[in-house]
Parts: sequence; C-alpha cells; structure tokens
Amino acid sequence: MGEKQNILITGAASGIGRASALRMAKSHHVIVADRDGDGAGTVTSEIVAAGGTATAIAVDVSDGASVRAMKAQIESNIGPVLSAFFAAGIFIRGVTGEIPEADWDRMMDIHVKGTFLCCQAVIPDMIAANKGAIVNMSSDFAVMAVPGAAAYMAAKSAIYSLTKSIALEFAPQNIRANALGPGPIDTPILKSGRTEAEYAKAREAFAENLPIGRLGQPEEVAAVLDFLLSERSAYMTGQIIHPNGGQLMW
Amino acid sequence: METMIVTGAGSGIGAALTRRLLDENYHVSAWDTDPGDLAGANDENLDFCELDVRDADAMSAAVAGAVGKTGKIAGLATCAAIFHTRPFLDVTEDEWDSHLSINLKGTLLACQAVLPQMLEQKSGSILLFASSIARRGAAESAAYAATKGGVLGLGRAIALDHARAGIRANILSPGITDTPQPRGNMSEDALYDWADNIPLGRIGMPEDMLGTALFLLSDEASFVTGQDIRVNGGASLF
Repeated sequence: MGEKQNILITGAASGIGRASALRMAKSHHVIVADRDGDGAGTVTSEIVAAGGTATAIAVDVSDGASVRAMKAQIESNIGPVLSAFFAAGIFIRGVTGEIPEADWDRMMDIHVKGTFLCCQAVIPDMIAANKGAIVNMSSDFAVMAVPGAAAYMAAKSAIYSLTKSIALEFAPQNIRANALGPGPIDTPILKSGRTEAEYAKAREAFAENLPIGRLGQPEEVAAVLDFLLSERSAYMTGQIIHPNGGQLMW
Repeated sequence: METMIVTGAGSGIGAALTRRLLDENYHVSAWDTDPGDLAGANDENLDFCELDVRDADAMSAAVAGAVGKTGKIAGLATCAAIFHTRPFLDVTEDEWDSHLSINLKGTLLACQAVLPQMLEQKSGSILLFASSIARRGAAESAAYAATKGGVLGLGRAIALDHARAGIRANILSPGITDTPQPRGNMSEDALYDWADNIPLGRIGMPEDMLGTALFLLSDEASFVTGQDIRVNGGASLF
C-alpha cells in the first residue's frame, strides 16, 4: 500500500519478525536486522528469490554502538527509514524469586533498552520528513499474567508504556507509534525452553484453551503489522492491537 | 459477491462505511430508519432496508433477503446509535431507555439476526462500534457512556461464544469524529476546537475509521477477535 519505502525490522531472522519481513518486502525495501547475521542473510535471500529487495544487517539491539552503526550503515547505503518494526526479543523463563540478576538485565536490555535505542535511531529521519510509523513488539503479557514470566511481563509492559510516550511526544511531527500485543503464536520464542515433545503438548493445550481453538501463525501477526504501518491506520497512535485468538480482551 | 450489513447506514460513519464497502465490491444491506446520506444513491449492489434496530423481525427479514441475493453474509457492522448530552440529574427515564434500547439492545438484536446465518456458514466477522467515551467517560453523557461500555462487554461475549464456530467479533472505538452525532450536541466551532486536545492535531473524519473497519471485517484480521481498537488520534491511550 502506498509508495515503496525502506522498512527496518529487527528480530527479522525468525518468527514474527521474519514473517513481517517477507510480507512487507512484497511492496517495500526491507532492512532485515537481527543479532543472527546469518539468519538475516537467509531471510534476505528468500526475499530476493521472491522478487523483492532487502538488506541484511547484523545488530545487537541492546548495544547502543551496534544500533548506531546499523543506522549509519542504513543512512549511507539505503536512505531514510520512515517505517520501522522493532520485534527483537527473547524469552527466559524464571520464577520471580529465583531470577538471576543477569537474566533480568538481559531481558531488559534486549526488549526495553533495545526498543528505546532503535526508536531513538530512526526518529530523527522521521522528524526530518515530518512523517513516520513505528510499531513496537509488546505482548498480551503487557496486560495479563502467567506464572514464571516476570521479566518478560515487565519488559513487555515497559515497551507498551514506552510506545505510548513516543506516540504523545512525536504526534506533532506526524510520527505514529503503536504496539503489537500478540497472544500465543507458533514461533521459536513460544518453543524456547521446551523440548519437541513439550512443545507439541503445549500447542495442543493452547489450541484447547484459546477461544479461537488454534495457535496463531506469524503471518497473521504480520498482517496486523502491515495495517499499523500503513495509511489505513493513519488516525491511530499510542494503541496496542492484540492478535491473540481471544486470549485477552480488555 | 458477498454481503456486508451496516446498521446506522444513513449517516456519519455508517454511511461512509457503506460507500466504501460498495467500492470494495461488496453487496451492502444498509439498515437505518431513514436513508439520510444514502438517499438517491444509485448502486445495484446497495439494498437500503428502512428498519429500526429495535425491530428483530425486520432485521431477520433483511438478513433473509440478503442471503437470498448473495448466499453469504461476510460481515456485520453496527453503527446505529443515538447520543444526547444531558446533565446527569436531568436524564429522564425515557431518554435512558431510548439510549439503551437503540445503542445496546439494538446492537444485540442485530447480532442475533445475523448470527444464525454466520453459524451456518461457519464464518463471519462482526464489528461493533463503541466509543472512546466507553473507557474515558464524558460529562453529561451518562446514558451514552453506559451503552458504549455495554457494547465492549457485548462484543467480547460474542467473540467468546462463537470463536469456535469461525466467527470473529471486534469493537472499534472512535474518538470524537465529525458526524451528525456530536454536531447534535455542540457547535461546529466547539467540535473542531477539540483538535487542541488530540495529539495528532485534528478531530476524526468518518473516513479515518474506514481503514480499521475494513481491516477488522476482513480475513486479514484472522487471529484478532474480542479486541477493542481505538481510533482516536492518540486522544486516549487505554
């Protein structure tokens, strides 16, 4: 929809980030950024094979120098970024009383600081253009709760709040910021920390417990991302949309 | 060709949505007590049904008519509502009842008229229009606020009750939008002065709601159900 843009997607080597990169590359140039540079290269090859254009970049979003280097590389080789989806994330399970400080810090660095640094990197381009759309990856767990996920819940709530703050601060510059809050989606993050057998069982449990009766697919989240980056949502900012099969309604 | 049903289709967001759905090549069964903005609209895919959302039989008949024409109801958008501002202590029982019966019960009855066909199809997308007032409240708007809060609950209930049947239900909550509804309660200047309170710097136009409405009604939103999507220029962030 609309003119061809440069769209930056972090965490784009796998899961929802990857599905979003593949979808957006049908009509835009996608910068496929991921800590896993090889994985980013593979997604980029897939895009090119399908007739699109993309650039792979290895980045550690928790490291300011790495994020700034990514931005400099984009600036000199590609151009301004007026559309971005920050999806990089990990999951480390941990009961609150026993979460090691290092795990906590890593969750906060990648999710919260990473999203902050990436937003800071692209907003100047958007201010200059008086136009921009940012989507940050939050989660149903910004609102609802499960045991054993304190760090993830705190991180995703923080991303939602950060997104609202950016939405308010930069609305006068015509920059929109919204959040995605997926429910259970068939991705590596959902599988992480589970054996194949455990994941098979978990998938069944999700299908049984979700109102819609099945696990979501990354492509179904990518469709919402596309909507939020497009002019179809031009009057929406500071909002969160939950593609979650009805897991959470609020 | 598939049918989309729109209540409150004669004015405001309902009329804009009806026109857009026609552009998108749907057959539209447009319901309202008065054709309003659709009067004189000449489109072979538009069937205007003069009915009141408090009249369950009329709505069932309109659904049967649409099914006879296209065989499939793709979606229902409920826009029909009234909004009269009044200081709380001056709200009469009649006013309360008319808000409740049109805005809330009328929404229920419209959904009930359409659901049997959707259940038979094992598909369908329902979009209920609430309002940012459902969450934020507003002065001198008790009856309206109560009905729109009720729509949130109703929408979630429909989503839960029929998710396994392949039917999705979502809610769209507009912020202040230039339609006859607020214009009935305030001057044009006062309406447009609201822009000062809106981060994106302008009040909504009916067209601002259509991208979201079409998205939610379509299969693009296949994993989105029971959600309330707020289209308000950033005026309300919860």
